[in-house]
Amino acid sequence: MAKKKRSNLSSASVSLALVVALAHPATAQQSLETNFRTTGAAVTAVFEPQRQVIQLSSAVIYDGRKEIAYGTIISADGYLLTKASEVEGVGKIDVCVDKESFKNAKVVMTDPRWDVALLKIDATDLTPVVFAPDSKLPRGTWVVVNGVTSRTNRRVMAGIISADAREILPEGGAVLGVTLKETKKGLSVEEVSKDSGAEKAGMKKGDILTAIAGKPFKEIAALGKLLAEMKSGTDVKVTLLRDGKKTELDVKLSARGDLFREVSRNDQMSGDFSNRRSGFPRIIQHDVLGASITMGGPVLDLEGRAVGMNIARANRAETYAIPVEELRELAEGMVKQVTVTATQ
Amino acid sequence: MRKHKSEPSSSVPIRAIRGSLFLFSLLAPIAGAFPVNEKKAPASLGDIKAIQDALLAVIPKAQAATVNIDLGDGSGSGVIVSEDGLVMTAAHVSTGVGKEVTVDMPDGTKLKAVTLGLDSETDAALIQIIEKLPDGKPYPFVEINKADDTKLGDWVFSLGHSGGFTKERGVVSRIGRLVRVANTTLQTDGALIGGDSGGPLFDMDGRLIGIHSRVGPQIPVNMHVPVKVFTDNWERMLKSVFIGEGPFAEKPEKGKGFLGLATKSAEGGIEVTKVGKKSPAEEAGIKEGDLLRTLNGEKLDSREKLQSILAELAAGDKLALEITRDGKEETVKLKLGKR
Repeated sequence: MAKKKRSNLSSASVSLALVVALAHPATAQQSLETNFRTTGAAVTAVFEPQRQVIQLSSAVIYDGRKEIAYGTIISADGYLLTKASEVEGVGKIDVCVDKESFKNAKVVMTDPRWDVALLKIDATDLTPVVFAPDSKLPRGTWVVVNGVTSRTNRRVMAGIISADAREILPEGGAVLGVTLKETKKGLSVEEVSKDSGAEKAGMKKGDILTAIAGKPFKEIAALGKLLAEMKSGTDVKVTLLRDGKKTELDVKLSARGDLFREVSRNDQMSGDFSNRRSGFPRIIQHDVLGASITMGGPVLDLEGRAVGMNIARANRAETYAIPVEELRELAEGMVKQVTVTATQ
Repeated sequence: MRKHKSEPSSSVPIRAIRGSLFLFSLLAPIAGAFPVNEKKAPASLGDIKAIQDALLAVIPKAQAATVNIDLGDGSGSGVIVSEDGLVMTAAHVSTGVGKEVTVDMPDGTKLKAVTLGLDSETDAALIQIIEKLPDGKPYPFVEINKADDTKLGDWVFSLGHSGGFTKERGVVSRIGRLVRVANTTLQTDGALIGGDSGGPLFDMDGRLIGIHSRVGPQIPVNMHVPVKVFTDNWERMLKSVFIGEGPFAEKPEKGKGFLGLATKSAEGGIEVTKVGKKSPAEEAGIKEGDLLRTLNGEKLDSREKLQSILAELAAGDKLALEITRDGKEETVKLKLGKR
């Protein structure tokens, strides 16, 4: 299914022609001032009650001075959730909540299936988000999310629920992130892809792969069949021969589409979208325009309650959020697991 | 101020459509002005809720009439505007007159359709669905805003099959405002993407005001063809006229069709001596040695006859060839390619 979608996306012949607006100057043209456009200040001003929730219950996550993501506060004592793939590998994570800065936030846990990271900051009296009872929202329901931010002030952007809640399958299926060659010795690693699970696990050129999850294979096609049964984001044990010695590595599977991105025509017109934008068990979709760094923040309804958390900017017209039902489960489950471990 | 008209605008010559297509009933109520549109910006959450109430009330009907148009090598969107299956879309989606396409209803039902006329200068086109719904019911359709009374700053919403048809996702809805108004273009700040082309733009009463056409390099720059462009050309488009020589569709040129085979005269027809690689002839399965007897019912008694028939046809035109292969008679159907 994901494959089919890709072919549609790249079908340049009938997709929207990317015509530059200014090419045909129209006569007697009228234009609405920026201030009054959907994301303009005069319009977003009306969402002040929701902005106050965003001010207190969302976080801005920094790598040095660079904003990398937003976060959703889930406990008064400093736990927050964000988009894992945006904070992974960042040496020193700083977090800003309301007007306060917190240095050296810890990534205490991640859930690769949902691409969610649990962060902990040294705080005591934060205002966690209030979860909405459910995310069963029809198309046309307003949602409010983080907009542009400064060190002291959060702004908001608003949009509407766009589509049916659903699963987003991994684009192109699960892959290890290596190029293989069938040799006399077996399947030999020719190249390890940058940022792949294989690279992170320490796989090297020349390794001879013999089994995955305990299941042996000899040809590329056989490995492909085994991978087709697996999900991206999960860890899998890979058995290999290195310098003749049997070795095992835990490799996190990536979605082919996230790793080997063929930039489609729709991607070209989409600006800055999320690197990881597929492989989510269930999402709700809205139309708020935002860059990839705006993921991780809460998605509020008009009552100021969280109906979800932004998880992927898919393209110029579609943004995905984890629905509140699953978000709540993730939040409670992860905090419980961490605190139980801590008290043992 | 929004002009509120109690009568349909006389500038909308859409009454002369085929009898059964008389959907633009003169008695159709014209909804009152949407109050929030009278304000430069929503003044309270009450206004915001009024927008939401309007959307929740009209989206289901608009959604049911928003179709995907599958052209085989890609897809666009369209919207049904009559109970007997007339679809408005963009010219760069329909790409030609008299072409067979497939319409995907939101529930996944596939229906045969044929492209009618188009305006290649403004990106407007009509398509007619020619296959009944499985339950035999009238097609779901939306009302066109004949009053043409939308104005700058109005709240609007876009629907479409962004990036292609996905049943699990359904039609994608986006909100925005009318940020620029020109003669043949409306611009909104609700984001469109490939696949949305030809999809509908609605006002807060759920009336069709435009068809998605193209986007600018910045995300909030999204262009639509106003419905007036359609209604101005309505009768000609219904009669399958290819209007203009604009950038949105290429007029097929006679004699520019490509078949891709060489022949020599033979008894009872002409014999294929060579078939071009990846040519329409090869793709249709024509082989060297086949005897071509008739083309679209006309006897092929010489190579010149084949050439004279092809000279009257264009790329995309359909051919039916009666052939004899190994003593057996067959009919081969194919479409001419582009030379």
